[in-house]
Amino acid sequence: MVFGRSLTETRLISSANYVRTELPTRLAHRIRDMQTLPYVVVTNPHISQVYELYYKAFESLRRVREINTLDDNERFCKKISETLQEHLTVIPKLAMGVIECRDLMKAEDMDKFMNTILRSRISRRVIAEQHLALTETFNSPWHFPDSPTTTGASHEFVGEVFLKCNAKEVVERCGEEVRALASVAYGPSTSLPSIKLSGHLDATFPYILSHLEYIIGELLRNSIQATVEKQKMGGTASALPPIEVTICEAPQHVIIRVSDQGGGIPREILPYLWAFSKGPRSNERLENLHHVPKMAATLQEVRVSQDLPESHPTSTGNSSATRHLHDTSLSSLSSRPPNLRLGMGLPLGRVYAEYWAGSLEVHSLEGYGVDAFLQISKLGNKNEQLTMRASMDAV
Amino acid sequence: MAGVKHIVVCKTKEDVEPAKKLAQDQGGEITNTYSIFPGFDVVMPKDSVTTFADSKHIESVEVDGERSLNIHKQNRLVSKRYLSFARHPSPSAHKWSHPPSSTTIADDDVANLANQPLHALSLADLVEHGRPPLSTDALFSSANFTLSLLPIRLAHRIQALRNLPFIVVSNPNISKIYNNYLHSLSTLLPYTSKTISNLEDEIRFTAVLTELVETHSQTIPTLARGFLECRKYISPDDVTRFLDEHLRARIGTRLIAEQHIALHVSSQPHQDPQTSQTAYDNPSYIGVIDTALQPASIVNSCGNFVSEICELKYGVRPTWIIDGEPSTTFAYVPVHLEYIITELLKNAFRATVESGRSHEPIVITIAAEPESPRGGPSSVDRRRAIEKDLGEGADENAIKPFEDSAPGVTIRIRDRGGGISPEVLPNIWSYSFTTFSDADELPGQTPGSGGTDALNVISGAGGGEGSSIAGLGYGLPLGRAYAEYFGGGIAVQSLFGWGSDVYLRLKGLGKLKD
Repeated sequence: MVFGRSLTETRLISSANYVRTELPTRLAHRIRDMQTLPYVVVTNPHISQVYELYYKAFESLRRVREINTLDDNERFCKKISETLQEHLTVIPKLAMGVIECRDLMKAEDMDKFMNTILRSRISRRVIAEQHLALTETFNSPWHFPDSPTTTGASHEFVGEVFLKCNAKEVVERCGEEVRALASVAYGPSTSLPSIKLSGHLDATFPYILSHLEYIIGELLRNSIQATVEKQKMGGTASALPPIEVTICEAPQHVIIRVSDQGGGIPREILPYLWAFSKGPRSNERLENLHHVPKMAATLQEVRVSQDLPESHPTSTGNSSATRHLHDTSLSSLSSRPPNLRLGMGLPLGRVYAEYWAGSLEVHSLEGYGVDAFLQISKLGNKNEQLTMRASMDAV
Repeated sequence: MAGVKHIVVCKTKEDVEPAKKLAQDQGGEITNTYSIFPGFDVVMPKDSVTTFADSKHIESVEVDGERSLNIHKQNRLVSKRYLSFARHPSPSAHKWSHPPSSTTIADDDVANLANQPLHALSLADLVEHGRPPLSTDALFSSANFTLSLLPIRLAHRIQALRNLPFIVVSNPNISKIYNNYLHSLSTLLPYTSKTISNLEDEIRFTAVLTELVETHSQTIPTLARGFLECRKYISPDDVTRFLDEHLRARIGTRLIAEQHIALHVSSQPHQDPQTSQTAYDNPSYIGVIDTALQPASIVNSCGNFVSEICELKYGVRPTWIIDGEPSTTFAYVPVHLEYIITELLKNAFRATVESGRSHEPIVITIAAEPESPRGGPSSVDRRRAIEKDLGEGADENAIKPFEDSAPGVTIRIRDRGGGISPEVLPNIWSYSFTTFSDADELPGQTPGSGGTDALNVISGAGGGEGSSIAGLGYGLPLGRAYAEYFGGGIAVQSLFGWGSDVYLRLKGLGKLKD
């Protein structure tokens, strides 16, 4: 018993030190990237705020001394979770900055910068959150029934881990959420298209739930919006065509296809579909980004109740409650009202999909509808493998 | 001993021995026998008179020049040609640097024509001579326009072929195609020095065009076979690059020729009052273009055709549903669409049947782009959007549609055939004989091999391209070439374990400004 405990403690400490050195290094690379952007871009208020946040995080984390005890780790975890919390607003801020600066830099360079910084962000947050989750597991009551329950700050921010996601459940849940938001926004009298599922409904795979929910949420959101708005423009009272979601499972991957009849993507938008720096609709997007709920606090008002996933590895009453309060950087985006169109769903979704060795592809039948294909790779889900992936990526 | 070295090229391998004997009988000494082509070197005594060039075994005889100088020059030229493959330098003046050919065209002619730029063809060009039935004058104008384009296009192709590696063009199949092009150009050259201004000339000219179309109808299978046989001597990338350019150019050349032929047949001077085939039967046609083509009817006719074959081979007849907007019509070239749809349906039907789900209908969705409203984005934006949309596929070879903003049609073919496996997926756009390994048998050479696959022996519409593609499988890259020619494209999405979605985007040819 004693032996088991100290072995895990050693692992925890070594994980902490790994995180302690990785985070500042990666932050430094991104800070350097930003420093080499044109001056006029970094002086933009939004980009400059992001720069300040990164710098502050870097300064704070690099001063952390070597971690040798559990108390050291507690302090460290507190610091990390504060930083994670502060950085929740980075994505909308970056997006706003990019749109405002769209004439100041070449579009390809801008997109490249955004892709790099967002991918790096995923890797840093995953590393940090894995460690927080490890700490929380170590500290949780069932693990060591005799130890006093620690109420460290790590409880306020539970890390995200890979969960076994069942495609059907995730799609249904996201579908419910998006429809609920849509009916609030469009009014209860507007009919919404139904979501029909077919295919290999039992498919499960390990994934970070909030990432998956974000991507699928965005795809469903696009489909529902397009279908409703096409109906409005067409003026017919005929039944709304359903959105057809097909799940296909193969040994190496799972593909989720979302097919709608929303009229397709207008040709003038098509070249800017995957770009962060937008085309004809930039000004609207910018306006909307200002309205994204930035702080975690305001989230409670907007968000509709969230169901809990059924399979959670440490499912005790305690952690399910903490899960409910847990905010991820994507959750503020996932729960925004549908008329808040940011123009980021597809490019950001693709960053997440590709980070986990998957892909996101869209085919438009102009005048009819759109097919979106999310491909998910079924790789291992062990923590070690995760850290290796993140370090292999070394962004 | 002092003698004159001759390089003798024989017709076939079997002719080498008799030809050698003939040369020896006339006093020659065989110094070398070639293995890469049927031929040999023979040294004839100086001042001897040789007659073996007339022998039926012998293709051609060339006198070798100064020995030392030639070898170096020959080597340099061959390597230079290989390296500058993409640039098509002008052919040298030396006879021996050309692959053996049975037609002689003055090198100057080819060089002059090949140096002229390719005209950027627009569909408006093809229809500017008027709606059928054309008057005599309009017919002449169409003939002369065709005459101004075709020789240059043929010369460019000859140039490209001459720049392939020597060993490749020595292959009998490739060489045959090369000779076809030379022959066609030689039949057109007499007309280039004058304008067509009387009916006799025009009729003869049209007959020449008809022969041209006929001669080249088997180009693709023959080239395919040739490149397959030469796969050890040229890289798949080079083959793909050559074929992409060549086939796209071929589409344009045939279109120009066939357009004139169709306009000729339906023109006023040539209408046969006894046959019912007048232009008024098909008022929507302008030559080979149908301005009111309904994709759904093409889908149905191709579907019937392909499912017949399926029934013959598999005993099952797959079914299909057309949804979306089946009544859509747009302006397009029917034979092109027939070819593409036939190929795509072949893939879909075969996959469906072989995966055991032949009871599930294939769903074909036809989507028509809405007409863009006035006051939409400026034409500059739109053009930029379209160019980005076309990406790298757009090139000088593509014909510009009537209007850039012409509404198009997208056709989605969705099957439940199990999808394309990840190992095969990267190769679906190659001319598949580039993915043969050395150990593979050539299809059709061993009895019972894949070449006897019934679905591959379908003669596709569009000039008999499909007739003997025995197992060579390039319906997809060729279909894409057709689609992209007018600014469209094909995209394939595989859901391995479930089925496939194929998106065929077609750029409409728009409304003809009368």
